[in-house]
Amino acid sequence: MPLDVAAIRQEFPIFERTTHGKRLVFLDSAASSQKPRAVIGAMMRVYTHSYANVHRGLYALAEEATELYEDARAKIARFINAPDPAEVVNVRNATEGINLVAYSWGETNIHAGDRIVLTEMEHHANLVPWQQLALRKGADLAYIPVTETGHLDLAALPPLLEDGRTKIVACSVMSNVLGTTPPVTQIAEMAHAAGALVMMDGAQAVPHRPMDVQALGADFMAFSGHKMCGPGVGILWGRGELLEAMPPFLYGGDMIRTVKRDYAKWNDVPYKFEAGTPPIAEVIGLGAAVDFLSAIGMDAIHTHEQDIVTYTLARLAELPWLHVLGPGPYERGGVVSFWVDGIHPHDIASVLDAEGVCVRAGHHCAQPLHERFGIAASARASFYIYNDKDDVDALVDALHQVVRILGR
Amino acid sequence: MSSDLYREQLLDHYHNPENFGVLDNADVDIDMDNPTCGDMIHLTARLDAEGRVTEVKFEGQGCVISMASSSMFTEEIVGKTPEEISKMGLSDIQEMMGGVRLSMGRVKCALLPLNAMKQGLKEAGKL
Repeated sequence: MPLDVAAIRQEFPIFERTTHGKRLVFLDSAASSQKPRAVIGAMMRVYTHSYANVHRGLYALAEEATELYEDARAKIARFINAPDPAEVVNVRNATEGINLVAYSWGETNIHAGDRIVLTEMEHHANLVPWQQLALRKGADLAYIPVTETGHLDLAALPPLLEDGRTKIVACSVMSNVLGTTPPVTQIAEMAHAAGALVMMDGAQAVPHRPMDVQALGADFMAFSGHKMCGPGVGILWGRGELLEAMPPFLYGGDMIRTVKRDYAKWNDVPYKFEAGTPPIAEVIGLGAAVDFLSAIGMDAIHTHEQDIVTYTLARLAELPWLHVLGPGPYERGGVVSFWVDGIHPHDIASVLDAEGVCVRAGHHCAQPLHERFGIAASARASFYIYNDKDDVDALVDALHQVVRILGR
Repeated sequence: MSSDLYREQLLDHYHNPENFGVLDNADVDIDMDNPTCGDMIHLTARLDAEGRVTEVKFEGQGCVISMASSSMFTEEIVGKTPEEISKMGLSDIQEMMGGVRLSMGRVKCALLPLNAMKQGLKEAGKL
């Protein structure tokens, strides 16, 4: 059943406002999504009714807060089909989740002469932590190339796995620039057969399609709550036995079992990785976001975005001066990056802004990818549950305005 | 706001920049870029015996703001000393650009030629 976008928009208070006196056409959810009343309300209820620190209090209110916090963890685990909520670690954002793995697992398991394999389409979040780990350890870094059509050149992977030096493959489940959804299951099978692990960056995929970390064959998956209608909190999921074996990343309160003057023992997972007071209301808010998205249905959301992307690619094809990065419809998620001959993407974004259309412009934290396509920057429209074809039409109308103002 | 940001005066400089090119045997010769947005400028300038700027040329590519600012800058600083240029800041650039109000995201685009010139003067031992 198609999404009732008008009804969904009613759930997002931000759409009651205008921008520059125009209807708000928000096409930047890949950067961060808007928030529904359900999430804002859940966080408000925590702060006004159920707030106390978690895991410590001996009073009813603290127990209530702890229960809400742990219930949210369980919901998030179910949302990605994690076998055990204890494998769900609450962090600040996907970036911190990946850094946790690169530091904790990486410092222990990556040695001089080992190899780390990335892809050319990685967001800096799934690139720089591995690049720096490789530099610290004297390990090699190799990239699976991106083809002209924005796919991964998977033929490059087997030779990188043959000699057994590759210890981990870090791969996005969906590119934040190209929208490409690489065959991560196949990549995981190949990596595992060669004794390597797979770190999946789910920041763009988890908010937009049904997610099953077990079916994908992930060893680690990181994603951000703020891109999926939730607040500023991130999730790292990892296979239990891997998390068990890993040393802590951050040290302090709540992550310990006992502390003596000269040594300390660590708490169980996931608490071993949650030093200090966690983002309590944020995690509960993300639990509410998961309920909100699940009620709409992740399959329905995915289908809806496929429809919008297909329509967008068709409408943008009408503009001979505009070039789209990445693959065709049904091979990508709800992200369309483009550039216009002779016009800087920042100027595109500024003109679109005046027309009420919010897009991202720049390198989208994927500089090596833009380099691969020989451009410094692009403009990007990204879609979510509150976007419809009217938004795409507004984008295309505003793009005509860009050329009217800035074209020669 | 784009109506303000993309006013006629700035667009004229963007489409038909003043002093576009490179000076041979320049006293100041500097490349600078905004890595985050890909704006690039190559600025060359000559100074007279008293140290005042006599001629400036630029080449580069980038957004309307950085290119218009660069074009206007090549006219603005003729006759100024390195010390005078080193004291220039964002308010001078905004005034030079006709009082345009720049959002935070666009400030570094507008400042590209000034920052390049300051760096170039330093590297040339003029500051």
